[in-house]
Parts: sequence; structure tokens; C-alpha cells
Amino acid sequence: MGLIKSLVTWSRVKSPWVIHFNTGACNACDIEIVASITPKFDLERFGVQLKGTPRHADVLLCSGPVTRQIESRLKRVYEQMSNPKFVVAIGTCACSGGVFNGCYNVKGGIDTVIPVSAYIPGCPVRPEAIIDGVVKLLGSLKNPAAAPKLPITIDPAGVLEKGA
Amino acid sequence: MAASIIEMIVFPGFVFLGVLGMIFEYVDRILYARLQNRKGPPWFQPFADFIKLAAKEDIVPREADSVMFKVTPLLAATATVVASFYIPLWGPAALHSFAGDAVVVIYLLTIPTMSFFLAGWYSTSLYSTVGAVRTITQLFAYEVPLFLVILAPGILAKTWSLSEMAAFYSAHPLLCLSNVVGFVVAIVALQGKLERIPFDIPEAETEIVAGTFTEYSGRLLVLFRLAISIETVVGAALISAVFLPFGYGLGAAWGFVVFIVKIAFVMVILAVFKTSVARLRIEQMVNFCWKYVAPAAVLQLFISLILSAFVG
Repeated sequence: MGLIKSLVTWSRVKSPWVIHFNTGACNACDIEIVASITPKFDLERFGVQLKGTPRHADVLLCSGPVTRQIESRLKRVYEQMSNPKFVVAIGTCACSGGVFNGCYNVKGGIDTVIPVSAYIPGCPVRPEAIIDGVVKLLGSLKNPAAAPKLPITIDPAGVLEKGA
Repeated sequence: MAASIIEMIVFPGFVFLGVLGMIFEYVDRILYARLQNRKGPPWFQPFADFIKLAAKEDIVPREADSVMFKVTPLLAATATVVASFYIPLWGPAALHSFAGDAVVVIYLLTIPTMSFFLAGWYSTSLYSTVGAVRTITQLFAYEVPLFLVILAPGILAKTWSLSEMAAFYSAHPLLCLSNVVGFVVAIVALQGKLERIPFDIPEAETEIVAGTFTEYSGRLLVLFRLAISIETVVGAALISAVFLPFGYGLGAAWGFVVFIVKIAFVMVILAVFKTSVARLRIEQMVNFCWKYVAPAAVLQLFISLILSAFVG
């Protein structure tokens, strides 16, 4: 039983299929997400594939603050994914609402609507940070004791420590 | 009874063809990646994908017909495995054969396509329905040329049994040269049958999300992926049995090596083809198939008919 369990965990770590969903971003983070799946970075090395439908995907990459328009759609896309599923908030806006926080049409960060497993701040996020975040998220699956507790925060530029 | 159950499930049935299918899926993906100047996935990637999907939750949409939704993946996977029993793999004789099994194999290889159509249709989602209609439209374009070129070598060999065809061409290797047109047509049609670029119109992910498979997840999706992997190997085996009938007299071990090399050869052609072209629109695909591929298939038929007047 333990062998099957570890085999399944191994396969989950080695084959994360992602879906990209723009929850109201300014498009900068979306372009960086698209850049990170180009041949230059070649995420297929890690088994990452971009899928068109939430039914096939394991990881939901959200970019941008949740606008009131997109809120119900975000919930629906999340519910359409099959378990086990993970959500990664990409960009400062997706983490907390960013500069759009308090805006009349903005709900806030992704975590105000659905549970988030990893936060990757940046404006926009670099592709390396996205890859780092997804790899650390999967690493926490492999070894829950040694890995940092969910949610994971990636902070390459030290934005959070400076208290920006 | 026990022997035929082992034959069906283990060797050369589900397990063997599934593993072989996934190995060749890896070959295809690594070639695709290398030709695009990428590093490509590690060797275990298709296996990791398989295990992960098999361990995921199955979702059957409320709107979908739940019986058809669950039956079609099984139908697709089974039909491809059954088709492999009638194709000569590493000896000139297939596992089972009878007069006219070439026709049966082609029909069995149509069942996965039909089940993709039914799966998309009974998902009742908009994208699946569009994908399903495209699948069936595409079927009408490539199926006729494929049928013609698989049966044309049979005219020369005066048999429609794949095993007897393989035996005939092993005995007369030079006559294979008359089937070159048919080989090219079969490669193009196989690319359409497997719904690969440039004929991946039914599952064009930039247009219609994932086509017929949009609503599928977990174990049901994995059965479809397995069916496509097995269909790739069986299709390549069919082409190599009809058009490349070499190395059948070498015994089981060397015969197996030659079999793998032949399939790999077909896979390399398919991968280079896939890398060097972009996706067509559905009406371009239908036009291309009826304007160029079907006449080429008829040409192959004429070559075989004329030659058969002189041979044997």
C-alpha cells in the first residue's frame, strides 16, 4: 500500500499539468507565464504541460486581482478541476490585490475566493520565479515533513521582506 | 481458454501494447522536442502521466450521458488491441488470421475514431460537440484513401489477408517498390487518424479547448490516451506489415528487433512530419485529402491493377 502511495505521489510531482486563468490581470504576468512555457525554458523537462481545459489540469495558475465580474467564473473553473488540485497565485495582484486593492470593482487576492497553495509575488513575475514556485509546491508534496508548510511564498526580489 | 486470456491481457494484448505505446509516445515527444531545439521530457514521462491521471478523481458532468461517457474510452482501447491480433508483428503470420482480415483491421481502427465522436457528442459540452463533429468530418476525408492504399497491395498479392500479404511480399521483395505512393498516402492518412499536427483539428487546444476530450478527467481520460498510444503502435505496425515486409524469416528474437526498428522508422517519419507543418483548418484538410491524397491512392490502385496483370 505504501509503495502504491509513493508511486502516485512520485507521478504527481513528475507530471504537473497546468491551466492558466486570467482573473483580471493587466496582462504582464500572463505574458511571463506564456514566456515560461516557451522552448527557451522548456518546462516539458519537468513534465509540465499547458492544458486548455480545467478537467485535465492539476495546477491552476491565476494571474491578477479577482474582479467582481470574474469571481463566479473563477469559482466555477476551480470546481471543474478534478482532485487533487492546486492553485498558484502569480504576481503581486494575485497574492493580495496589489495596487488594485480597495478598487470598487476588485474583490482582492485569489485567496479571498478559493484556497491558494503557493504565492509568487512580483510585478510582473519572472519566469524563473514561476518555475521555482511550481517546483517548490511539488517538492512539498514529495516530502511533507521537510518542506515548508503550505502556502509557499516565493520572494526572489525580497519584496516582502522590505515591507513594500 | 487461459492461454487466450493471457494473450488478450498480457502478451501481446493490453499490457504489452500499452507499455510499447507509451515507449513510442516518449520517442515521439523527445523527437518533437529535439527537432524544436528543446531538451524534452525524461524517459518516464508517459508513465508518470499515466499513473497520475489514473489516480485522479473522475468527473462525469451532470449534463452528459453517463453510460456512453464511461463506455466509449473502454471501447476505443479495446478495439485497437483487437486490431493488433490480425496484424503480422514479428513473424509473417499474425496471431489470428482469416481471408479478408485487412478489411476487419481497418474497420477496427475506425472504432476509436467513432468512439471519440460519441464521447464528444455525449459530453454535450459546446467544445466537445464541435470537436466531435470535426472528428467525423475528418474521418470522411482520410478514411477512403487509407482504405484504398491498404487494400491496393492486396490486389497484387491476390489476397486480403494481412498475413498472406506479408508472406507474398517477403517472397517478392522487389514488388514493394510499386507501393511507394501508397506508403506516402498511408503515412498522411495515419497522421489524420491519430489526430496529430497538421490534422489535430478535432482537439485544437487554441480554438476549442481540448475538443472531444474537454470534459474527460482521471481514469476515463487515461483510457483515451492509452487508446491513442496503442493506436499509434498498431497503425505503425499495419503500415510496416503492408509496405515494409522485411525481416520476417529471422526467427522470433531478431524478428522482434526488426519489428521495433520498423515501427521506430514510421514514428520518426510521423514526428518529422508533425514538427515541420502547422495545423490546417478543417476545410483545408478536407480539400487537401480529396484533391491530392485520394487521387494518389487511386493512382496506387491503378499501379497495382496493371502490375497484377503481369505478376503471377
